[in-house]
Amino acid sequence: MTVSTFILKNALRNKRRALLSISSVAVSLFLLVTLQVALRELTLPPQSAGAELRVAVRNKISLTNPLPVRQRGVIEKIPGVEAVTPFTWFGGKYKGEEGMSFAQFAMDAEKLHSVFGEAKMNGDGYEKFNATKDACVLGKITADKYHLKVGDQITLDSTVYPGSLSFHIAGIYAGTPDDRNMLFRQDYLDESIGVPGYVGMWWLKVKSADDMAPVIKAINAAFQNTSAEVRAESERNFQLGFISMLGNIKTLIASISTVVVFTLVLVTASTMSMAVRERFRELAILKALGFRRRELFAFILAESFGLAVVGALLGIGGAYCLYTFGNIGKMTAGIFVSFEVTPRIMGVAALVAALLGIISAVAPSLSVARMSVVNGLKTLD
Amino acid sequence: MAEPIVKIRELTKLYSQGEIQVTALDRITLDIAAGEFLALMGPSGSGKSTLLHIIAGVDRPTSGQCLVQGVDVTKLNESQLADWRNQNVGFIFQTFNLIPVLTAAENVELPLLLTRLSRTQRRKQVETALEVVGLADRAKHLPRQLSGGQEQRVAIARALVTDPALIVADEPTGNLDSHSAQEVLSALQALRKDAGKTIIMVTHDPKAAAFGTRQIHLEKGELSQ
Repeated sequence: MTVSTFILKNALRNKRRALLSISSVAVSLFLLVTLQVALRELTLPPQSAGAELRVAVRNKISLTNPLPVRQRGVIEKIPGVEAVTPFTWFGGKYKGEEGMSFAQFAMDAEKLHSVFGEAKMNGDGYEKFNATKDACVLGKITADKYHLKVGDQITLDSTVYPGSLSFHIAGIYAGTPDDRNMLFRQDYLDESIGVPGYVGMWWLKVKSADDMAPVIKAINAAFQNTSAEVRAESERNFQLGFISMLGNIKTLIASISTVVVFTLVLVTASTMSMAVRERFRELAILKALGFRRRELFAFILAESFGLAVVGALLGIGGAYCLYTFGNIGKMTAGIFVSFEVTPRIMGVAALVAALLGIISAVAPSLSVARMSVVNGLKTLD
Repeated sequence: MAEPIVKIRELTKLYSQGEIQVTALDRITLDIAAGEFLALMGPSGSGKSTLLHIIAGVDRPTSGQCLVQGVDVTKLNESQLADWRNQNVGFIFQTFNLIPVLTAAENVELPLLLTRLSRTQRRKQVETALEVVGLADRAKHLPRQLSGGQEQRVAIARALVTDPALIVADEPTGNLDSHSAQEVLSALQALRKDAGKTIIMVTHDPKAAAFGTRQIHLEKGELSQ
C-alpha cells in the first residue's frame, strides 16, 4: 500500500457521495465555463477579416434615426474612403414567425464585394445580385435552417415599413463570422415600400488602416451642425456600442457566476466536513499511530483536491468538447454562431476548482488539528 | 527488578468540568520494568485510562514526570510526540479501530507509512507481524470479513509491526467473547515472553488481569495496590 492508495480508498469509501460531489463540481464548472464563454461571445463578438478597414456611420442621436442619402456623396469624397454602401434595417418576419430569426439589410449591391469582401458566394451570385432588383443574398446558416436554395422566393413582412416584400435568392454566402443575415438592394426597398432619400446607416471601407482615424474624424466633422449629425466609428467600436444596448449583461453574468462558485464552495466544503466528521475516530487513531497534523492535513487536502480535480476535468472537458465539436448554432437556435472555450476561460475554471479543493479542506483540517487523540478516541465509545 | 522502562513521578492530572475541578490522577509514582506485563485495574473513572494515555504520549499531565525509556514525554511538543509514538508505542484499543476500507495487511502496514522502509521491506514486516498473531492467511481480508477476535489480533499485529518497546492496550478484550479474549491475551503474553515487549493493559476483568505479571489498582486517581 502507498499513501496515494490510502487516500484513494478513503475518497471512494462512500462511492455515492463521491460521485455526487464530483457531479456537483462538474456541473457547476460546466455552468461557469458556459457563462464565461457566453459573456465573452456577447461582449467580444468575433471579428471578421475586413473589420479593421470598415467604418460604421450612424445617426448621432440613435441607431434608429435615419440618415439622408445626400451624405453619401460627401463621404465618398473624403480622402481614404474606398467604398460606401447604405445599410438599412428591414425588420422582416419570415413565414409569420413570432420574432425575427435573422436580420435583413438593404444595401448597394455593387458595393457588397468591396465593403464586405469576406462574404464568399459560389457561382454567379454577385452578378445576379447586381442584375436583379428583387434579388437577395442569404447567409448559409439561415439558408440551411429554412432549407432555402438559390432561385427560391421568400417573402418577408416588415415590422418597420408598411407591407411585405418578396425576394429571389441570388446567392448564398459564407465566410463571415455571422453567416445569418440577408442582404438585398436598397433601390428595391426605396421603390417599393421604403422611404426614398433616407437610409438606416452607412458602412464604408477605407483604403488602409492608416486612413481609419482620419476618415472617422473627417466624417464626424463633415456633418457637424447639420440636421443629421453622425457618429462614425470602427466596426469593433460599433459592435461594442451595440452590445452595450443589451444592458449590463456583464454584471448579470458575473453575478450568476459568483453565485455558482459560492454555492459550489459551500456544497464541497460541507461534503468534505461530513466525510471527515464520519472519520474523526479513525483520524484520532492515525494520530495515535504517529501521523502528524501536517500529514493528516495532506490526506484531507489530497482527497478534497482530488474530488475537485476529477469534477473539473469532467465539467471543463465536457464543456470544451460540447462547444468545440457540437453544432452551437443548432444548440442555441442560432443565437450564437461561435462559442469558443478559450484557454483563459479553462484556466480560470481550473483555478476555481483548485481553490475549491483547498478551501474545502481548510475547515475539516482545522478541526482535526484541534482534536486531541483522547477526545478523538472518545468519539468511538 | 530490571531497569524500569517507565518511570512515573508525582503525576497529577486535573480536569475542569465547568467550574468543578476533577482529579483524575493524584500524585502517582510508579515504575514499570522492561519486559513486564502490567495489568492496570480499577473501577470506571478511577483514572486508569488517563494514566495509560499519558504513558503512551496521547495526553498530557497537569504536573509530574513520565519518563519512558529515559525520555520525559511530558516535555515533547506535538510533532515530537507523534514521532515518538510511532517509534516507541504500539496501541491496542477496545474497539479494534481498524480502518474499514483497508485489508488486514494494509491496516498493519499503516504505521510503517511513516518510516523510510521500502515497499518490499514494509510487506515483509507486515507478513511477519501477521504470522506472529496467526493471521497470515487473512492478510487480504477486510475487517468486516473477520471475527472480533481476528480483528483484535490484526490490531495487535499493527501495534507490534514497528517493533516498539512498549505496547499499551486499553481493555483489549472488552468487546470479545471468552474464547477470543483468551486468544488475544495469549498473544499478548507470547509477545512478552518471546519478544520481550513491555505491555501495559487496562482491564476490568480479573481473569484478563491474571495474564499479567503484575496487577496494580487505581481508585479515585490513586494507586491502591
